Amino acid sequence: MKLTLKIWRQQGPHDNGRLVSYETDEVSPDMSFLEMLDGVNQRLILKGEEPVAFEHDCREGICGSCSLVINGVPHGPERGMAACQLYMRRFSAGDVITIEPWRARAFPIIKDLVVDRSALDRLMQAGGYISINTGGAVDGNVLLIGKEQAETAMDAASCIGCGACVAACKNASATLFVAAKVSHLGTLPQGKPERARRVAAMMEAMDREGFGACGNQYECEAVCPKRISTRFIAMLNREYLRAGFVASGSPAEPDSSQAGPD
Amino acid sequence: MRRSNQFQTSLSSKVAVALSGLGLAGFVSFHMLGNLQVFEGPAALNGYAAFLREMPIVLWSARLGLLTVAVAHIALGIRLALQNRRARPVAYAVREYRVASMASRTMALTGSLLLLFIVFHILHLTVGLGDPSVHDQLDERGHRDVYGKVIQAFHNPFYVALYCAGQLVLGMHLSHAVSGSLQTLGVEHAALIRLFRAAGPAVALFVVMGNLAIIFAVFLGLVRP
Ligand code: HEM
Ligand code: SF4
Ligand code: FES
Repeated sequence: MKLTLKIWRQQGPHDNGRLVSYETDEVSPDMSFLEMLDGVNQRLILKGEEPVAFEHDCREGICGSCSLVINGVPHGPERGMAACQLYMRRFSAGDVITIEPWRARAFPIIKDLVVDRSALDRLMQAGGYISINTGGAVDGNVLLIGKEQAETAMDAASCIGCGACVAACKNASATLFVAAKVSHLGTLPQGKPERARRVAAMMEAMDREGFGACGNQYECEAVCPKRISTRFIAMLNREYLRAGFVASGSPAEPDSSQAGPD
Repeated sequence: MRRSNQFQTSLSSKVAVALSGLGLAGFVSFHMLGNLQVFEGPAALNGYAAFLREMPIVLWSARLGLLTVAVAHIALGIRLALQNRRARPVAYAVREYRVASMASRTMALTGSLLLLFIVFHILHLTVGLGDPSVHDQLDERGHRDVYGKVIQAFHNPFYVALYCAGQLVLGMHLSHAVSGSLQTLGVEHAALIRLFRAAGPAVALFVVMGNLAIIFAVFLGLVRP
């Protein structure tokens, strides 16, 4: 199958970058999208040109490192899948495919299609954790967690931190990512003691890192490889409002664990 | 980290924009219902207008409250929109939206056009600029003739077009705004999600249809002087 690729090439963070066209005709429909790019790079190397830098690791949709905007959609045309799970059979001969990096002020481009997503790590450092003393593992069944709660937490916890939500958002907002973390931790008893502090700190960090605010457009949910629901954003907003009341009520460390927001 | 700063986030602004926006949405709904009294004839509408003016303290507190809410909404809304724009300095060469409605993508634009329309609307029908003669006319009961003013305005195709454009912009802004505010305020439930997502378009349709009914009833001569 013969394809035209328009790939974003950028030498480094301070280069301006541009789309460069590549013709390729050695594409089999059974190739994955990343294998197709591997092939392009192989030929570039043989020609003595610089290969296209793109990020990948697991190539099975669990690590969240592949980060390509394909024809204007983060992770490409499939729903609920990462770019590494996309196969060339989804395209037809003669197609023009534009490949760009995640674009956000908070995700500076390192090279070509590779962006620096450490802003998401700093959001986690601001509050995406629980503080517990280490030691022997707690006995199973000491802490009983209802099935509903467990499933809600698991749904939120399936976020792989890829940042597609940011890439898809008109405002380059990381709200879905933060919502997933806040909902995941805030739903479980281990996460409840810090829930007021967590949500405030993570939202503050999100602004500090230069992400925009949520526009309630739900493009994030539509591209998320794990289909994280925007219902978690409503949950995040409730957590935030609740935290505001808690903080205004008591100067001491707030909160005891009680029923979840749902 | 200072606690006092902890809640000065974009989300706090969003909550304020949503609350003030819902307040404004409530106002435009009741404003439309009040206007429907055109269909009951001059006595009803002029009586209603006079009734409002007979309580200057209530009227001016309401106006002041409304103005405060509107200023807060506009100032915070514009600040958020600018902040959001800065979050993506380099645009995509190719961009495809999957679910975002046209209304949701043009909130800042429809908001700004709405502001222009509101200023024009107040100057036109409240202050009576451009047509001071009509403004001072009294009906047979000695009330200011708001009814006559409305009838006269909407006989003019130019004003009809302008008000229709205003309604279009209002409808677009509202259709995303009301559902969006519910989400911003965390009002959400698995079983009611369709209802909440439909709330915006429903409120928008309600307000716009009511207002358009007045405009066209007058223009088509169904409501006479
Ligand atoms: C009758 C007049 C108006 C009503 C009923 C109204 C209603 C609303 C509501 C309910 C929202 C919240 C949406 C959300 O939380 O996602 C909103 C958002 C917004 N409004 Fe208005 N609005 C009005 C006038 C205006 C005007 C005059 C402006 C600006 C000049 C404006 C600018 C905005 C902007 C920029 C947003 C989006 C804020 C964001 O990025 O989240 N609005 N409006
Ligand atoms: S919420 Fe979805 S799109 Fe966003 S980082 Fe997590 S997995 Fe990726
Ligand atoms: S490479 Fe790991 S998710 Fe795509």
